[in-house]
Amino acid sequence: MTLWGALVGGVVGTIVLTSGLRVAQELGVTRMDIPLLLGTIFTDRRDRASVIGYVIHFFNGLLFALAYYGVFRAVGHAGWLFGAALGLVHAALAGGLLLTVLLPAVHPRMGTPWTDAEETPLLEAPGFLLANYGRRTVIWTLFGHIVFGAIVGGFAAQLS
Amino acid sequence: MERIDGYAPIREYALVGDGRTAALIARDGSVDWLCLPNLDSPSVFARILDADRGGSFRLEPAVAFEAERRYLEGSNVLETTFATAEGRVRVTDAMTLTESRRISPMRELVRKVEAVSGTVPMRWALEPRFGYGRAETRIERRSGRWFALAGADALVLGVSAADKGDLHNGAITGELSLEPGESDVFSLSAANGEPAVIPGREDAERRLEHTKRFWPEWAGRLRYEGSWAEAVTRSALVLKLLTFAPSGAIVAAPTTSLPEWIGGGRNWDYRFTWLRDASFTLNALLRLGYHDEAHAFFWWLMHATRLTQPRLDVLYRLDGSEDTRERLLPELTGYRGSRPVRIGNGARDQVQLDVYGAVMEATWLYGHAVGRLDGDTGREVGRIADYVAKHWRDKDNGIWEVRDERMHYIQSKGLCWVALDRACDLGKSGLIPDHSERWRAAADELRAWVDEHGWDEELQSLVRAPDLREVDASLLILAVFGYESERVDATIAAVERDLREGPYVYRYRGGDGLAGEEGAFLACSFWLANAYARTGRLDDAKALMEELIGLANDVGLYSEEIDPRTGEFLGNFPQALTHLALINAAVRIADVEAKGKERAA
Repeated sequence: MTLWGALVGGVVGTIVLTSGLRVAQELGVTRMDIPLLLGTIFTDRRDRASVIGYVIHFFNGLLFALAYYGVFRAVGHAGWLFGAALGLVHAALAGGLLLTVLLPAVHPRMGTPWTDAEETPLLEAPGFLLANYGRRTVIWTLFGHIVFGAIVGGFAAQLS
Repeated sequence: MERIDGYAPIREYALVGDGRTAALIARDGSVDWLCLPNLDSPSVFARILDADRGGSFRLEPAVAFEAERRYLEGSNVLETTFATAEGRVRVTDAMTLTESRRISPMRELVRKVEAVSGTVPMRWALEPRFGYGRAETRIERRSGRWFALAGADALVLGVSAADKGDLHNGAITGELSLEPGESDVFSLSAANGEPAVIPGREDAERRLEHTKRFWPEWAGRLRYEGSWAEAVTRSALVLKLLTFAPSGAIVAAPTTSLPEWIGGGRNWDYRFTWLRDASFTLNALLRLGYHDEAHAFFWWLMHATRLTQPRLDVLYRLDGSEDTRERLLPELTGYRGSRPVRIGNGARDQVQLDVYGAVMEATWLYGHAVGRLDGDTGREVGRIADYVAKHWRDKDNGIWEVRDERMHYIQSKGLCWVALDRACDLGKSGLIPDHSERWRAAADELRAWVDEHGWDEELQSLVRAPDLREVDASLLILAVFGYESERVDATIAAVERDLREGPYVYRYRGGDGLAGEEGAFLACSFWLANAYARTGRLDDAKALMEELIGLANDVGLYSEEIDPRTGEFLGNFPQALTHLALINAAVRIADVEAKGKERAA
């Protein structure tokens, strides 16, 4: 297993994950738009936000690939199946904590259950199990992260 | 104020809220409707839907009284003054706003009681009934406070007189008596899925003062120079209460199943956002200078519709989630026996082509106000225009959500024309990809179709549908949106002739697949005033507006409908569509007057 393998896997995995969610948007499955959610932390211009968001999400993918690599090293094993299992944990972290709790708490343009008449946020919060963005959002998010994990695990194991 | 079988007349209610939920308070001091934690959550007080088991929070003199009330100036804080033989007492009601730097209740209703003169014996009773009165509610005393609990919901009652109450048959009751100059505070702190915040008196009073300061500041941002400024300001404040701040969506009304006719079955849940209201909302917000709210609403609009674009649904949930299924609550008797009580709204499954005109008009207003639309939005709007060009020939359920077979409603066709016309303008302005050639061709074909099938020579009016040859007040919207035609002018005259009685305008006279009667539809009256102004009949517009302004209740609120014989309010209350129609009619008249003055100068 190699660090470079994990990083390459991170790049490929992020592209697949982001593209998969975009396809889901186009198919009318979800309103989840991760680049927009991340980019609007910095600007309320939608077009600029999407570009900024893609860059952030790409680097997030690399950071998570590094974290995966750390686990692979600690356990002494890498592979697509183990990566997919980590992807499941990753999905639970992203969908259960990062997007539903932390993002609304720090996002200056996102509403929370406590937002009141004094504020006018631009984005609705994802809600429990991301259901506010479409009830099947959680399934695509889960599936996307499992695929991400499998790709990172596979690349880390193979590129040696 | 007299209750009939325990029910207050709808006219006797005022609304307080915090941008997340809202409470209806009757003139006699009873909080009869409150959903927690959000506008579309199940109720904890629903006395308006079942006087016996719905639940309420009553606070009133223990002796005979007369009550006067008002909103504090430019505010959604309600002040009720009870006059009795023993003296006068003032109650200030507000849902407080969250303090970001301190722990504050998830939602809080504060009721401050102040003795103005004499010593007035007061009594109070809190009957919490979670889940529309169906959930088992446990009431316990903990740490010297009363707690009401059901599942993930909790209510805590504080802070001084309230602590001494007694529990009888599921109600916490008590009495208090204040000397002149003394005051007491009731704080009802609510939590859902999190620990409840136990209110202290000093904290509750500080939050009340903060809330009292916020509302006039917000109302002070309103920009309007024209007649009926007070009514316009009140309508804007109502809209702010009906705005669900966490998402920017605007609820059609904060209630469900207040009947369109007493004892009738036309009882619907309005705690959703109808896309139909989009253009009226954007126009009102932009014209009154509330650009942040307009911005937030447009973002919500584009996000909420994304799952179905280019097809648009009729209504959406406030938080963006999808479940709007309609269900009945047979356990509740309904307002004065008006069954059934419904939650959810089946109109979601209908086809209503007019929403495309409303959304495109909203986009057009927003695009020109802001001066740009981003690439994704522009492409989405273009796809919606293409969808209209392809589907305007379809039958639909129409603006009045007729639960009968679909038809070719002329108002829907007219709004499809508005959609295509605005798309052409947006394309030519460079705000969306320009396919104006094909959109204009479709718009011209549509207009020719309306000319051929939508006109009745005998009635001298456009009709509801080719198979329903009668006048329809919704056709006034064509005039409001600038569908210019001599036939639209004639239709205004036909609405006056067939549907208007004094200031009241009925939607239509014919059937709609539902049993029972209904009142006159207040938004139609304001649309008529707007249409008068748009077509140069300024004096008629102003005269009608004067009459309509007089129809509001004592605190400036309107319902959906009114019984012309008695003046009784009917339907869900207060109604966003009516208040939007008021604002837009007033603004139109002000604009026409300003243009007239410019020309004269």
